[in-house]
Amino acid sequence: MSLAEFLSGLNDFIPPNVPFFVFSIAAAVIVILGFAMPIGGICTYIERKVAADFQERIGPNRVGPFGILQFFADGIKMFLKEDTATKNADMFIYNLAPGLVTAGALGAFAAIPFSKYVIGADLDIGIFYVMALASLVSLGILLGAWSSENKWSLLGGMRGAAQIVSYEIPLGIALLSVVVVSGQMSMIKIVDGQAWLGSGSFWYIFHNPFLFLNFFVYFVAALAECNRTPFDLPEAESELVSGFNTEFSGMRFGLYALAEFADVIMFACVAAAIFLGGWHLPFVNIENIHLGWSLAGKSLDPLIQTLFMILIFLGKASVIVFVVMWLRWTLPRLRVDQLMDLCWKYLIPIAFFNLVGASLWVWIFKGQSMIELISGMMGAG
Amino acid sequence: MSFLDFFVVFCFLGGVVCSAVVALHPNILYAAVALIGSLLAVAGVYASLGADFLAAAQLIIYVGGVIVVILFAVMMSESIYKRRFLDGVKKMFLPTILSIALMLGMFKLLVSTNWGELRIPNYENTTIRIGQALTGPYALIFEYVAIVLLFGLIGAIVVARPNILKKDQDGGNS
Repeated sequence: MSLAEFLSGLNDFIPPNVPFFVFSIAAAVIVILGFAMPIGGICTYIERKVAADFQERIGPNRVGPFGILQFFADGIKMFLKEDTATKNADMFIYNLAPGLVTAGALGAFAAIPFSKYVIGADLDIGIFYVMALASLVSLGILLGAWSSENKWSLLGGMRGAAQIVSYEIPLGIALLSVVVVSGQMSMIKIVDGQAWLGSGSFWYIFHNPFLFLNFFVYFVAALAECNRTPFDLPEAESELVSGFNTEFSGMRFGLYALAEFADVIMFACVAAAIFLGGWHLPFVNIENIHLGWSLAGKSLDPLIQTLFMILIFLGKASVIVFVVMWLRWTLPRLRVDQLMDLCWKYLIPIAFFNLVGASLWVWIFKGQSMIELISGMMGAG
Repeated sequence: MSFLDFFVVFCFLGGVVCSAVVALHPNILYAAVALIGSLLAVAGVYASLGADFLAAAQLIIYVGGVIVVILFAVMMSESIYKRRFLDGVKKMFLPTILSIALMLGMFKLLVSTNWGELRIPNYENTTIRIGQALTGPYALIFEYVAIVLLFGLIGAIVVARPNILKKDQDGGNS
C-alpha cells in the first residue's frame, strides 16, 4: 500500500469523492516537505557538529541548546539574502538549473521504501526509476555552471557532469547485481526478499561474496555521484572558489546545498534498502511481533510495526550518512585523472566481474545464500 | 477529464511546443535545453501507456546521458549567442517540404487506421517480458546492436587518442 492509497483510505471519514490524484500530490508534498527538506536542513547542522568533533572544536553552539536551531537561522538567512547574478548571466537557464537539481534529488524519494506501508509509489521498476531521476542532477549542475558566466563555475560544472556520467556505470552495475540475485526491481519486494524467515535468508550484502564486494563499489560510486569528498572536484574550494555554485546566492545556493544533502540521504536510503535489508533486523521478523495493544477496538500492531520499521530503516541510512561525513574529514581530494582512472580502470571492471560472479552463484547454488549453504552443511553433518 | 487524460494531453502539448523550440530557436543552447523538455514529454507518454521500463530508460539514456554530451559539445562551441544556425531561408526550404510530407503521411495513417475500442492500458509488469524478448526471439538483434555500440566506443577512443600514442612512441625512441 502506498502513502497515497493510505491517505485516500482516510478519506472514507470525510465527505465526498476527492479524486485519487489529489492524494498522490498530497503524498508527494508530505514526503518532500515533511521528510526530505527538514532532514536536508538538519543534516547541515549535523555535518557541522561532526566536522567540529573531528577537528576538536565545539561547532555551532549559540542558537538554541547545543546550537540545534542553527539550521533554522541558516534557512532564514538564505531566504532573506539578496538574489544576485553576474551581469552576463543567462537568466532563464540560471533560474532553471537549481530547480532541475532539486527535482532530480527529491523526485527519487518517491520510490524509497521507508517501511512496508510508507512508500511514495511501489513501482515495478523501483531501482531503475531512482537511477533515472538521480541522473537529472548532472544536467542541473552543468547548466547552472554554464549560465553563471564564470570560468570557475564552468570548470566545476564540466568536472561534475563528466564525473556523474562516468560513475553512473559502476553504480548501475552494482545495483544490477542485486537485481540478478533477487529477481525483482520493485523496492518493496527486494527488501522483503531479505526478511529473516528462520531459514537463513538474510541481507543481500551477506548473500554471496560478490555482492559483498559490490556494496563497496556502490558506496564509492555513490560518493562520487553526490560530489562528496574525496570526489568533491566540482566544488573543490582550494582550486575553483566554490565550483559550479560559485555565483549562486540566497535560496538558489540553498537549493544546491539542499539537493546535495538530499542526494546523500537518497543514496544512503537506497544502500540501506538494497544491501542492508531495509527495515529487517537479523534473527527477528518485525511483522511477526504482536503486542496485542488496541485502541477503540482496533489493533495498534500495524502502526507500531510501521513505526519500528521506519526507525530501523532510517537508523541504517543515518549510519551510512555518518560514514560519508566521517570520510569528508579523513581523505584528501583526488585529482581529475585519478578520479577517471578509479572509475574506468578499477570500479567498472570490478563491478562487471562481480555481476558475472553473482549471476554464476545464483545459477550454481540455485539462489541460496552463503548462510543457507553453511547451515545446510551443518545440518547434514 | 481524469488525471491520466490531463497528463497525456499535457505531455503531448509540452512535447510539441518543446520540439518546435528545438527546431526554430536561434540559440543552440536553448534548443538543447528544449530538447530535455521534449524527451521528458515522450517519457511521459510512454509512462501513461504503461511502458514504465521504457519511460525510465528514456530518462536515464537520453536525458541523463545523450543530452549531457550534447550540452558539452554546445558549451564548447564559440559564441553561442551570435551564431544563428538557421541562417537563410534557403536552408529551411527542403526540411520544411520533407516534414510537411511526413506529417501528411502520418495524418493519413491516423485517419485510415481502425483504432477499435479505446481502453485504459493494462499496468502490468513489463520488465519481465522485455527481458524474455531480448534474450529470446530478439537475442541476435540485441547482440548485433551491442557489437555496433562496442565498435562505436572503440572508434571514439581511437579518434580521441592519436596524439598520446605518438608521444609515447617518441618517448620510446629518445
